[in-house]
Amino acid sequence: MSGHSDDPVAEESNRFFTFFNLSMLLVAITGVEIVIIYVRAFEGSIIMGVLCVCSVIKFIGVMTWFMHLRWDKILNTILFLMGLVIAAFTFFAVIYMADDPPVVEKFAISPIEEGWKADYDYTKGDFIKEKDSFYVANITHKSSQVFDSNTTKGDEKLSNWKLVQGIPHQFSWKVSTGDLIEISSLKPENPFFHQYHPTDTDNIEGSKISLLTQNASSEGFRIKVRSDAFWVDGLNQ
Amino acid sequence: MSEASAHALEHHEPLTSTGIHNKKVLMWAFLGSDCMFFGTLISTHLIYRKISATVGGNFLDIRDIFDIELTSFSTFILLASSLFMALAVSAIHKGNLNSTRWMLFGTIIFGAIFLACQVYEFTHFVHAPGNELTLSSYRGEPHVFGSTFYVLTGTHGTHVAIGVFWLIGWFVYSFTGKMSTADAMDIECCGLYWHFVDIVWILIFPVVYLMEYAF
Repeated sequence: MSGHSDDPVAEESNRFFTFFNLSMLLVAITGVEIVIIYVRAFEGSIIMGVLCVCSVIKFIGVMTWFMHLRWDKILNTILFLMGLVIAAFTFFAVIYMADDPPVVEKFAISPIEEGWKADYDYTKGDFIKEKDSFYVANITHKSSQVFDSNTTKGDEKLSNWKLVQGIPHQFSWKVSTGDLIEISSLKPENPFFHQYHPTDTDNIEGSKISLLTQNASSEGFRIKVRSDAFWVDGLNQ
Repeated sequence: MSEASAHALEHHEPLTSTGIHNKKVLMWAFLGSDCMFFGTLISTHLIYRKISATVGGNFLDIRDIFDIELTSFSTFILLASSLFMALAVSAIHKGNLNSTRWMLFGTIIFGAIFLACQVYEFTHFVHAPGNELTLSSYRGEPHVFGSTFYVLTGTHGTHVAIGVFWLIGWFVYSFTGKMSTADAMDIECCGLYWHFVDIVWILIFPVVYLMEYAF
């Protein structure tokens, strides 16, 4: 690329080749941008990286040579870069702030207190409380008139219920958005930790039953929800 | 001609405290502020693209209406117009008025082609059967994409249109016989504006169009 010369007219003439070469370079880089999109042989992050690099090269090329900053006094560059830097900071700040933090609308922990009912359809895994003990449904069945009746399958007798140790607790939550939900205990005596990666990230409602070997304090748990860069904590409500 | 032209090259740059022509300083300051303007518009588009990624319960795939061939063509056109503009500025600095005139004409034509492509694109988007993209909706469902897209690309298009009218003014002026190397600084400022419009498109093209195809 041409620099300063004693003959300004000759210098301008030399710039013709500079401008032409730069123009060809810009066309080639734009071609690369388009081809990489058409080829579809690369990961999204690679394409993004290439597009960013190509844009920056083109931007600097036009700014430096077409806009004469290479040959002008530094004040012009400073003036332009001031606006550019502020714009870049604004861009990143707004992008960062606009990330939608999740809202924990509801997070509750409650012991299972539902008693056994006659003539009721139970699904395998359902919990009930019966005479200060807790049971989990062994099989899907319809309850009879007497608790703990068995179900006969062929020659085999299956017990409908299985006694569980400890106190089962129901964890239920509703969050506005999130890509990771983590429920963990705040106290060592309440060992519980679970992570969920929800597929639908809008207005997630869910519940889970945990079997605890000790009595759980309802204040002893928290829910953490992550949405992109944000983690939001929610305690039992 | 070289001595006279060299003299001409110098005499239209009056001494100022900064050593730079005031018009040029003003233009650079304006372009710096315009950077912030477009920075805000691009940020807004990206934010809403991210947080409003669905329409009617489905992922918003705007590639259904984008015509990347047309947009690529108009990108090349704008790049070519920048070359013409740079050569026009170079020609006026050399005192070659005839070359300046035709380089300005080339820039105007290419700028007008770019605008025509944008008008065609907008018309196509608004009336695309089954895929109508309006300011407030996409495929008949309320969505913000049209707002941020049209405001961003439309603001750029307005800048191009202003540049074209500015260039037409210089082109017409060149036939009056009054144009001289004394006008070099004014044409250079016009050139700075035109190149700025070009670099803004250099950012808009990948950010708004090509990124849609990246994932």
